[in-house]
Amino acid sequence: MQPTTTFDLLGRARQGADDALSLLFERYRRRLAVLIRYKLGPGWRGKLDADDLVQETLLRAYRDLPQFTYRSPGSFMHWLSAIADHAITDAVRYAGRARRQGNEVSFRSESNPEGPEPVDLLTPSRVLAQEERLQALLSKLDALPEHYREALLLAKIEGLTTEEIATRLGKPRQAVSLLVFRALQRLRELVEREKLSGKRT
Amino acid sequence: MSDQQTTREELLASALAEFLDQQAREEGPSIATFLKKYPELAEDLRPALEAATEIDQATAPGDPIAAPVRQASVPMADALSGLRVLGEIGSGGMGRVLLAEDDRLERKVAIKTLHPRYAGNSELRERFMREARAMAAINHPNIIRIYNLGPEHEQPHFVMEYVEGAPLTEAARALSNEQKAELMHKVLLAVAFLHEHQIIHRDLKPGNILVGHDLAPKLLDFGLALETRTPETRLTQAGQIVGTPDYLSPEQVRAETPLDERSDIFSLGIIFYELLTGELPFQAQNVAEQVREICEQDPRLPRRVNASVPTELQNICLKALEKDPAHRYSSAREMAADIERFLAGEPVMAMPASYSRMMAGKIEQHLHELQGWKNDGILNESEHEAIRKGYRRLVEREDAWIMETRRLSLQQVTLYLGGWLLVVGAALLVLVRYPALHGITAVLLAGAAAAVTAGIGLRLWRGQQHRLAIAFLLAFCLLLPVTLLVGMGQYGLFAAATRGREDLELFSKLPDFHRTSNAQLWWAILFSLPVYYWLRRFTGSTVFSLVLAVFAALWSPVWLLRMGLLEWLDKDPGQPYFYLIPWAIVFLAAGLIVEYLRRTDDSRYIYPLFVLFAYVSLTGLATFHEPYANWLKSVAPWTRGQQEYLFLINAVLYLALQKFFEIPSSSQLRAVAKAFRFVIPGHVLVSLLLLGLAATDYWHDLPGAPERKFEARLFEILLPIAAAAFVFGSIPKQMKNFFASGLLFLAVGIVRLQQDLFKERALWPTCLLAVGLALMLAASRYSPLKVGLARWWRHA
Repeated sequence: MQPTTTFDLLGRARQGADDALSLLFERYRRRLAVLIRYKLGPGWRGKLDADDLVQETLLRAYRDLPQFTYRSPGSFMHWLSAIADHAITDAVRYAGRARRQGNEVSFRSESNPEGPEPVDLLTPSRVLAQEERLQALLSKLDALPEHYREALLLAKIEGLTTEEIATRLGKPRQAVSLLVFRALQRLRELVEREKLSGKRT
Repeated sequence: MSDQQTTREELLASALAEFLDQQAREEGPSIATFLKKYPELAEDLRPALEAATEIDQATAPGDPIAAPVRQASVPMADALSGLRVLGEIGSGGMGRVLLAEDDRLERKVAIKTLHPRYAGNSELRERFMREARAMAAINHPNIIRIYNLGPEHEQPHFVMEYVEGAPLTEAARALSNEQKAELMHKVLLAVAFLHEHQIIHRDLKPGNILVGHDLAPKLLDFGLALETRTPETRLTQAGQIVGTPDYLSPEQVRAETPLDERSDIFSLGIIFYELLTGELPFQAQNVAEQVREICEQDPRLPRRVNASVPTELQNICLKALEKDPAHRYSSAREMAADIERFLAGEPVMAMPASYSRMMAGKIEQHLHELQGWKNDGILNESEHEAIRKGYRRLVEREDAWIMETRRLSLQQVTLYLGGWLLVVGAALLVLVRYPALHGITAVLLAGAAAAVTAGIGLRLWRGQQHRLAIAFLLAFCLLLPVTLLVGMGQYGLFAAATRGREDLELFSKLPDFHRTSNAQLWWAILFSLPVYYWLRRFTGSTVFSLVLAVFAALWSPVWLLRMGLLEWLDKDPGQPYFYLIPWAIVFLAAGLIVEYLRRTDDSRYIYPLFVLFAYVSLTGLATFHEPYANWLKSVAPWTRGQQEYLFLINAVLYLALQKFFEIPSSSQLRAVAKAFRFVIPGHVLVSLLLLGLAATDYWHDLPGAPERKFEARLFEILLPIAAAAFVFGSIPKQMKNFFASGLLFLAVGIVRLQQDLFKERALWPTCLLAVGLALMLAASRYSPLKVGLARWWRHA
């Protein structure tokens, strides 16, 4: 009836409303996917599947949800990001070895009726591979200089406020604002250029 | 040029940062509304904002309101309970609300469904059904109606009334304050209805209250409702915050259990605040801060946000928003009644404690500043004292209401008139013996009146309705001794006459009335005093200190009656006043002890009684006590035992008393000193005038006696001199009555001199004119004259 906030969804998810949980994860899944892709860096991108890591991260988030405390609208994404870091570290550590067995939590199935439902029934876990819009965004982010991309990831994907970015980067807030502004301008230019080239071909 | 560009880019960057920060906080401004804030930057800002939004769109979970995946995965049923489903109105946590058409009744209905996914979850299903049952038990025009529960074989659902309307705060935006109050009144009655059915809503917010075109609100969504009857079946576990934090009560965010109606009252207070001001009382940047504000911070006064909010509504709103549930309205109905009072143009009951907290804080600051101003010499002593007193009165406003009764409203007059009729009626039961009402009947009647007033008074007090409570308890205070007297009278307790003599009984002088013995009066008051003391302790209201002090004072004449007052009145009318002196001392001692115990609110009612007893006893002694006059005659025969000399002695006593009570640093004792000082000029000047008139008559009886002539002339001259002394004596203590009475008696003295000493002397008025003019001129050149005089004095 009204747009639900992260806070709302979290509250309901903790009461055991599974649909709230999936709405909540749905809300952050794509952002998490983008974040993980860039966290992996070009070196690991080919060796580890970012979509698997998204799923792994959400599973861990589900398991640890009772420990999470809501501080601000951005805090949930921040928390997911931290979990993703652990997931990536573990994945890198186990890379090349056999897949880890016996996860603490697995999705709901006949044998595990208590587990969470898979996040998306239609396109399970194939976010990065299948979504055109997301692919377009990624290609543009790839084309940005490193420091611009970093600024945009922090501001738009991790969802930090400029103040928080300033603390993270150790720069004054004004400099951060300017950086984000220029990054967005550059992104815009890329979009315009793409449109023009699209018309030409 | 390049500088300007940099500056513009910085401006753009900081505006963008603001936009992004709002997005990060999920405040989600639209680009169009945001750009309105920066029209001059719009052109360059728009592309950046759009680029930012594009990232969001690429990562957004599709349609932001409904979950598209869900819709795709769960097809809508075509019909439920035989009703044709038209579409979805909204989706909530556990399922959806569908719009359907009842073809047979030709009306639209809403169907709330539980997601089929949960159909197997017996706990959720039970919870869903409980909501349906809770709603079904309620039949109220302002609460959504439930029509029926879906059949077993279909997806779990129930059919309810379809309401078209806007959320409360949106609907109320264009309304006047009175209309808003009316709307809130209806909401409150609906919530009161819920509470009376043992249901606590727990999730009251504007979105759950729809307002139709006829301005009738409808309460919906019982998802979180809690039946108080069965606390063990609460839907959430302790420690969990449910609902949006904006409308939660402090006890809810602290996860206290069990919650009661007053938690809903707080939410209603927030809704009312938003309704009146358009803003939320607590709106922090993040939830932790929000929780802190809800628990600790006083909301900004609604009138500061919107000056058109009437004070009464502000008070009602703030009372509902008290942090401590005990200070809030105890029921929604009570809050509704207060709004009703506002709508009827009557004063409301609410006097939120946050005012006195706020005032106490501010006043503390001001008093501190005042002290500084006094030290700096900006304020003089008396101004400082006056302002301090004003502030203290402000703080004591609660008591002042009873004491001063500044605003005589119809309600208040009716209240106290009722109380008075109760007391007078009960007094008739004491004074008159009615054949139809004898024995136990009369006792029960009076006892019932006392018990009812006490019971209602104490209940109102617990319900925070202090003003009404005090009225009832005061009526009880008067009824109590009367009731005791009825009981003693009917059962003949303490009926023995004083010293066995019927003529010493007060009621022997009142043959028309039923006899009540002195002893009965004495015991009735004695038994009442501890009750007054208990009321003072229980309520903390100093009104009962006043009651206690007054009844203790009334006790003294009853003591005297039992000691044989009526006999003395015949033989030596001055003797009773002699026995009042110990009472004055008792009250003084009581006042000192109470003040020493730092109960200054109580001692200020005791000292005035000491002053009263001192006045009455000293004046009575001077007027009626013959041995006193005889003593004076024997010590100083020239006084001829005239009473007026005794009054002069009293004036000297008062002077001594006022000197004495000025020594301690207590402001209350200084007030006592001032009271004694106040009566001195009256005593002295009236006595001198009367003595002078008597001396003149005495001289005229024997014109040849030189000592009589001397006495008459002496008083003739003394009167204007004393009067002039009082005129100037007004300066040190700023005694205005010294000044006024001095001027008056100076005129009287001048006339008396004209009648005798300066008879037919034209020089006398001429002299007065000259002296008057000289004094005025001297005053106008006061400073140079003073300096000149001082110099002359040094040379001399």
